[in-house]
Amino acid sequence: MVALNVNGQSVDVDATPETPLLMVLREHLGLTGTKFGCGMAQCGACTVHVDGRSTFSCITPVAMAEGKKVTTIEGLTEGGHPLERAWVAEAVPQCGYCQSGQIMRAATLLDENPKPTREEIVAHMSTNLCRCGTYGRIVSAVQRAAQEA
Amino acid sequence: MMAGSMDLSRRSFLTGTAALTFTVGSAGIVAISRASPAERPLAANAWVRIGADERIQIIFPSTEMGQGSSTALPMIVAEELDADWDRVEIVQLDRDDRTYGNPLFGNVLYTAGSTGVYGYFDTLRLAGAQARAVLIAIAADEFGVSPGELVTEPGAVLHPPSGRRLSYGQLAALAPDTVDVPSDPPLKSPEDYRLIGPDVTRRDIPAKSNGTETFVWDVQVPGMLYASVLRAPVEGERPLAVDDEAVLAMAHVVATVPLPDGVAVVARRQEAAAAGKAALSVTWSDTAPARAFDSEASLAAYTAAANDTAREGAVWRTAGDAAAAIQSAERTVEATYLSDYAYHAQIEPMAAVASVDEDGEGAEVWAATQTQSWTMRTITETLGTTPDRIRLHMMTMGGSFGRRTALEQEYVRDALLASKAVGAPVKVTWSREDDVKFGAFRPAAAQKLRAGLTGAALQGWHHRVAAPSVIKFFNPLRWAQVEPQDIIVMRGSESQFYALPDILAEHVMTERGARLAPWRGIGASYTSFAAEAFMDELASEAGTDPIAFRMALLQHNERGRRLLERVAALSGWGRPPGETALGVAFAGYGASMAAGVAEVSVDRASGAIRVHHFWATVDAGLVVAPDNAVAQVEGGIVYGVSSALKERITIKDGEVQQNNFYDYPILRMSEAPQITVEIQSVDAPPTGIGEVGTPMVVPAIANAMFALTGRRLRHMPFTPERVLAALS
Repeated sequence: MVALNVNGQSVDVDATPETPLLMVLREHLGLTGTKFGCGMAQCGACTVHVDGRSTFSCITPVAMAEGKKVTTIEGLTEGGHPLERAWVAEAVPQCGYCQSGQIMRAATLLDENPKPTREEIVAHMSTNLCRCGTYGRIVSAVQRAAQEA
Repeated sequence: MMAGSMDLSRRSFLTGTAALTFTVGSAGIVAISRASPAERPLAANAWVRIGADERIQIIFPSTEMGQGSSTALPMIVAEELDADWDRVEIVQLDRDDRTYGNPLFGNVLYTAGSTGVYGYFDTLRLAGAQARAVLIAIAADEFGVSPGELVTEPGAVLHPPSGRRLSYGQLAALAPDTVDVPSDPPLKSPEDYRLIGPDVTRRDIPAKSNGTETFVWDVQVPGMLYASVLRAPVEGERPLAVDDEAVLAMAHVVATVPLPDGVAVVARRQEAAAAGKAALSVTWSDTAPARAFDSEASLAAYTAAANDTAREGAVWRTAGDAAAAIQSAERTVEATYLSDYAYHAQIEPMAAVASVDEDGEGAEVWAATQTQSWTMRTITETLGTTPDRIRLHMMTMGGSFGRRTALEQEYVRDALLASKAVGAPVKVTWSREDDVKFGAFRPAAAQKLRAGLTGAALQGWHHRVAAPSVIKFFNPLRWAQVEPQDIIVMRGSESQFYALPDILAEHVMTERGARLAPWRGIGASYTSFAAEAFMDELASEAGTDPIAFRMALLQHNERGRRLLERVAALSGWGRPPGETALGVAFAGYGASMAAGVAEVSVDRASGAIRVHHFWATVDAGLVVAPDNAVAQVEGGIVYGVSSALKERITIKDGEVQQNNFYDYPILRMSEAPQITVEIQSVDAPPTGIGEVGTPMVVPAIANAMFALTGRRLRHMPFTPERVLAALS
């Protein structure tokens, strides 16, 4: 058993310590907003927050999240979030598969740097791949959310 | 998730609701029926259902892979129906080619080739207009007036002289058992459009902005098990012996299941299935011809074929006499262009969920593909059953770009075979490595271009494409109908936008050396590279500005000239090269045209190209959703830049050598150019927007590199090594 705190709720998970946090979140807990993309921290589709830091959940053993606060896209956007509104206003998603990870990644940028420059946004977000090519709109949406906040 | 994409919500809506159902045949609505309150849902073969509770359901006949057609297509119906868009529910169609098939694909349900809007445009307008005419007829009867006195506003019919008004829901409740349906109802004038043209938010965007969209990876059903598949390392091989003793002893592993070209490990947990796959030992057959597949050898053979003039090709387009025109010209120019295999790299790897019935002859299936028809066929062929036994749920795709189009879908097949073997629902998911290694690729190609020049005038055009047939591999049934015309390979080489009175474009059919599939832009993703890079070489040989050279070939094509003029203005064309330089291309997709200018620089030490800015102007006829159209072109450009600079699959001894994004890199945000897109507003039928952004990109970059360095890049992708070789 691994004791987790996910989106503010304590939950015991019957998983081996080395199980990727991503699989625990998605398949054990049904929090499917976080996506599998590459399994190797190459694409960022699996991005969640662990104690407020953007984390590739696909390469994070669940045991490493024990005793820490895990936040997923479901927790971040519960009750609405400026990034979620900005993503809709800028019509960012196309296929949408990578966008949970993009939003989670963007959230930690704005936490640390509420008024990022374009260059800072690009540098921070380049861990996350989007094959539909929504990069320009992601930048616009982060800027919009930064203005709103 | 779209409303009604699950059976449950569709039933719950219709049960206990009076609803009008319009059944539309090829000639339009052929029947109208009314569900009594107690009646179960009517047959699904209808475009529009109007409930007494004001809800309007509109069928979405394509599938959604990110291009926004799940909003655009129903919007066309809603426009002509004059529906209140906020009341419209979009219903994903899961089956029934006969009623709903794409007219451009022989009525197969097939989402490809940027055909969603223009393939269905007339059908959907007619469906909406007929439904509106029926509502007006019901209202006329109720009011005791002539239909000509009635008008509609969103969701209601009005009688202006008396001020009377009935909503569509009220009219649905009043519907008699039979109504005369006009075969030729009036269609709206474009200036009366309320939905087409303005920017209506795509329906799928909110759920894709908070993690609640449901992809096939996200499907969870009670009792579901997980499967990982160890696939034969080389196409055509099969498992001879399986040593699964250690795997079956692992915690949570349920079974191993032999498959035609692999072995599935089925487990109660996804992590256990993955661990079991890693521990599995399989002896494979080793006699498949594909063991000889070698990408380097293939491209060498294709290059030889392109240059072997004794080898005739299948004619793709011919007019006049290209050979004679070239021969009689003052000068002849020729060049050979090469392109490697490329992978789709959609971020969602292949997956499927299947729950096979106890008798093994029925199933519930969740799949995400570009074709309900071929997914259904895969299911019925796998189980040896008929479609009536299948409950199929088409899910939105986490990208596809041509990947999920094949006649036989092994990821769906494997979920069925595993579920049948273990007697439980099974979710099959591919790792990224599976998705790369067992991908199906844009074909490698060698292209020989020849043309004549007399003075500064082009005289004769000969475009030879040496590549294997893609259709023959990914859809042999289709190949039997179209052989030897392979649009997936040849599109773009017709160079139809220019006045080329003497042209020959031909397909030199070569041996296949990999699994193949359509890829964004299909043939135009490399034929336009060759054609437009060659056009630039001709302009240079003629001593003419590249845009002026093209304009001379567009005297008959005013819309095309306008695109080039606008992109020249936007990009500041004409400035001398400095640290950066500009290159132009004029390409497109099908009947949609695009002009693009790339601004590039190069690191002469490393050979790395940087694309700083890309300007594009596009003419796709009538545009249903303008902002989404811009988004599609933006995405198509990013896809093009990525393919120009980075993307290359290599094959050795029949095995794909790449594994994941670390050795098949795709463009990251830090590498993406600034993009400026201008879509021309044109009063002409729609011609498709999903792929038009891609084909112009590679040649624009190659041409910009020539402007910057005086060197030609003729082998895509333009990797740093190739750039250094060209510069040395």
